[in-house]
Amino acid sequence: MTFLRRLGSVVWWLLNRNRAEQGLADELQAFIDLSAADKMRGGLPAAEARRLAVVELGGVEQAKERVRTYRHGAMLDELGRDVRYAFRIFVKNPGFTIIIVLTLALGIGANTAIFGMIDALMLRWLPVKNPQELVQVTFQAPGATTPPAESFSYVIVRALAEQRQIFSGVAGFSGFRFDVGSPASRVPGAIVTGRYYEALGLNPVVGRLLTREDDEPGASPVVVISYHYWERAFARSSDAVGQNVRMNGVPVRIVGVSPRGFVGANVGSTADLTIAVAAFPQVKPDAAPLLGPGNFWLRVLARPAPGVSRAQAAARLNAVWPQISEPLIAPHWPASRRKEMADSVFQLSPGGTGWTYLREVYRKPLFVLMAAVGLVLLIACANVASLLLARASARQREVAVRLAIGAGRGRIVRQLLIESTLLSLIGAAFGVGLAWVSGRFLVNMISAAPGRVVFDLTPNWHILGFTSAVAIATGVLFGVAPALQTTAAGPSLVLKEDARMSGSRSRLLPWLVSVQVALSLVLLAGAGLFVRTLRNLQNLDPGFKAEGVLLVDLEGRRTAVPDDFLDEIQRIPGVVSASVSTHTPLSGSVWSEPAVPAGQRIPERDNAYFVGAGPRFLSTMQLHLIAGREFTNRDSADSPAVAIVNEAFAQRHFAKQNPVGQHLAANVRGNRTDLEIVGLVRNTNAAGLRKAPPPTVYVAYAQLTGDLPTALAIRATGRIGSVVSAIQQALQSKLPGTAIEVRPLSAQVEATIVQERMMATLATAFGLLALTLACIGLYGLLAYSVAQRTKEIGIRMALGAQGARVVTLVLKGGARLVLVGIALGLPAMWAASRWVESMLFGVTRTDPATIGGAIVLLMAAAQLAAYLPARRASRLDPLGALRHE
Amino acid sequence: MDKLDIPQGTLDLMILTILAREPMHGYGISQKLAALSHNNFQVNPGSLFPSLYRLEQDGKLKAEWRPSENNRNAKYYTLTPAGRRQLERHRERWDRISFAITSVLEGA
Repeated sequence: MTFLRRLGSVVWWLLNRNRAEQGLADELQAFIDLSAADKMRGGLPAAEARRLAVVELGGVEQAKERVRTYRHGAMLDELGRDVRYAFRIFVKNPGFTIIIVLTLALGIGANTAIFGMIDALMLRWLPVKNPQELVQVTFQAPGATTPPAESFSYVIVRALAEQRQIFSGVAGFSGFRFDVGSPASRVPGAIVTGRYYEALGLNPVVGRLLTREDDEPGASPVVVISYHYWERAFARSSDAVGQNVRMNGVPVRIVGVSPRGFVGANVGSTADLTIAVAAFPQVKPDAAPLLGPGNFWLRVLARPAPGVSRAQAAARLNAVWPQISEPLIAPHWPASRRKEMADSVFQLSPGGTGWTYLREVYRKPLFVLMAAVGLVLLIACANVASLLLARASARQREVAVRLAIGAGRGRIVRQLLIESTLLSLIGAAFGVGLAWVSGRFLVNMISAAPGRVVFDLTPNWHILGFTSAVAIATGVLFGVAPALQTTAAGPSLVLKEDARMSGSRSRLLPWLVSVQVALSLVLLAGAGLFVRTLRNLQNLDPGFKAEGVLLVDLEGRRTAVPDDFLDEIQRIPGVVSASVSTHTPLSGSVWSEPAVPAGQRIPERDNAYFVGAGPRFLSTMQLHLIAGREFTNRDSADSPAVAIVNEAFAQRHFAKQNPVGQHLAANVRGNRTDLEIVGLVRNTNAAGLRKAPPPTVYVAYAQLTGDLPTALAIRATGRIGSVVSAIQQALQSKLPGTAIEVRPLSAQVEATIVQERMMATLATAFGLLALTLACIGLYGLLAYSVAQRTKEIGIRMALGAQGARVVTLVLKGGARLVLVGIALGLPAMWAASRWVESMLFGVTRTDPATIGGAIVLLMAAAQLAAYLPARRASRLDPLGALRHE
Repeated sequence: MDKLDIPQGTLDLMILTILAREPMHGYGISQKLAALSHNNFQVNPGSLFPSLYRLEQDGKLKAEWRPSENNRNAKYYTLTPAGRRQLERHRERWDRISFAITSVLEGA
């Protein structure tokens, strides 16, 4: 009832505002009339009586204002008035408003862009039923120090799905790119277990989704297409269901379309074609081993059974595991590894945001960048605050008048805060636009070949909420000090003829500038460290020469590659040498086996990287041969097995002896093999630029059996473009139905430092933005102080000070602020750099050259910013300056 | 003579009490308050009008414009039934408070 009445009174007030204002004025007038009449009866003259009556009332406007603040609905009304007033002020000062809005748009936009990435990568729920219920299943060997493993074998996922008292649904999935159509193109897809869609609680748009039956041995292969693919390839025709898609040359029937917006549980990639694990070998015969117990490749999301909490589910799972584990663990594994797996502990973590390897890679970089843009925003805030402070002097008279005619101080502070919040909301609106545009750029930056990263960065309520919160906090942050400052003097002081700012603002401003300098130093030095890291990685000699090498992946096509295949490519003009290998450097996939000098016991655990390499592989990659020979055509399946080892391997097993001519005992793809070492080759950073070169054994490609991952490596010169199309032509005729992708090895190398490149690029951009903002802040302060000290400078010049001396005077003032800033910034930099230490390469976090460079850059830019006001000061006309004010 | 500050929260009670006798305009209320308090209280119009507006909006008072003693229109406030109930409640509470305070002061 009370609420309704209040609401009514608010509405009444809004509708009758003018009448109410008039009524209030009339009533106060009546009060004065009555009071004056009384006083006249007491003998005072009319004018005096009236004056006294007004004094007694304490001012008509003050009384009105106090009544207004008591009235219901007054808040709303005042807000509207304040907003209109604020806009009038903005329009009157367009240049000022534009500078502030631009500064804030950059600051808030940078924050929104980075937050958008964090949101897309880590915070967004999968578009599935009750995503908050989902858990991600991981496991960890007892006593392991490595992070929990995220991949499971197919048999384990199937066994988990049967634990219906623990999980109501279990989804195993992995990404794969299919060759579709002819000529073939690569389409991203997913391989999933039968209960995938059921566990995620999804319903088809058309047709049906995959079921348990599709994931049984012998089931005919069927595919579910994404809504997006349905739209693109079939124009959303319902005839799509029942049609066949040629996947890797095999016709697969479309059974349904998954819901709009759902593109798989693998965040950052799109699964347009989804098939069941059991059907996978029919599309890709060499994938058959993936169904075995030794291959851990499926990520698992599960939904605990109703009423079962995450902790309960984990406890039950760990209780059940020892009873069911025995048949699920690969029988060919060594006993110690089998025991380790049997003793492993399952962990369930929240899984509603899906899975992506990107999270592991980018979590920390994005948090570092978030902190960096936070600092940029602080600098922007300081800039805007000092602009507002500088303008406070211009506004002080206006504010004094308002105080004098009855506005409370709180009321004016509120008005000023509304102005600053409005400014930052306008800045935020532009910032969101800026973030949207730059978001694409960010995603492209982390999109390394071969799998493109796909994020929807359309502003959602997360992002808008975050940005609004940032904007409001920002508005208050940069608005409070100027607002308090402006109103501090009270009405009387400033109405005097020689209105001057009180002293406190000149204390606050220099500190703001010094803090800006300090924060800029942190960002610049940080940027320097990341740039050095990137440079170090780029200049690192990885042991092979990537430039000029082209790669063609022919996964599992070995049997389809005729022997004269490479010879044909070799004949293409521009091709220097062509070779074949199982694993190319830095491809991200590696093969390891146990290998020791003959006579020693072969260990259970793999201890060396293996690479199957064809003839001319070393010369194609320009791997430096130290001793012995490279593989040739004579190293065939019928000749004795040979190997080439790298320095790291030789050092570990042969100390100072020459390994060439020695023999190795190794398990190669499950076969005990005797290998004769025929060559010694330089180390390569094949497993990662930051990682020490691993001990590596090269074995002859022709002497390996079975289906192998196969990639052609071709060194070419001249016009690469024509070489690429010639290669494509030569291969396409031999491999119809396969998408022939020719890509440079250098791109593969670049792909491994995408994160470092992102850090270097963005940290530099934010560092320079911070530097620019800090310099604008310094310029503003000095320009203002020169304007204020016009008279003093005039006197100095009249007394004979030369222009150069005046310049020095102003520059010194600026340099002092910068030095204070640097003194504040160095310890901050020292503390902050600990956090990024692990991200650096080849440079210490306190690298003197980097920090020194940042300081020099900062001082140079600051001197430049200070020079402009200094020069203006030196050109003052002394006489004019003395007459100033 | 120095004026006393009106104790927090008692202005409403005094306004309601004065208006319980007869409808009155703002100036009349302030004069009456001064007279009844033997000139100990002088209500500042800047406090009086906000109180009157609040009481009116809460439905405790009703206001109407009519000619005043000097034939000019003035806004006269009248107690509503809700205002009368509020007066009774406040009065009762105030009596207890003053009784309690007096007892303490005299018993000590």
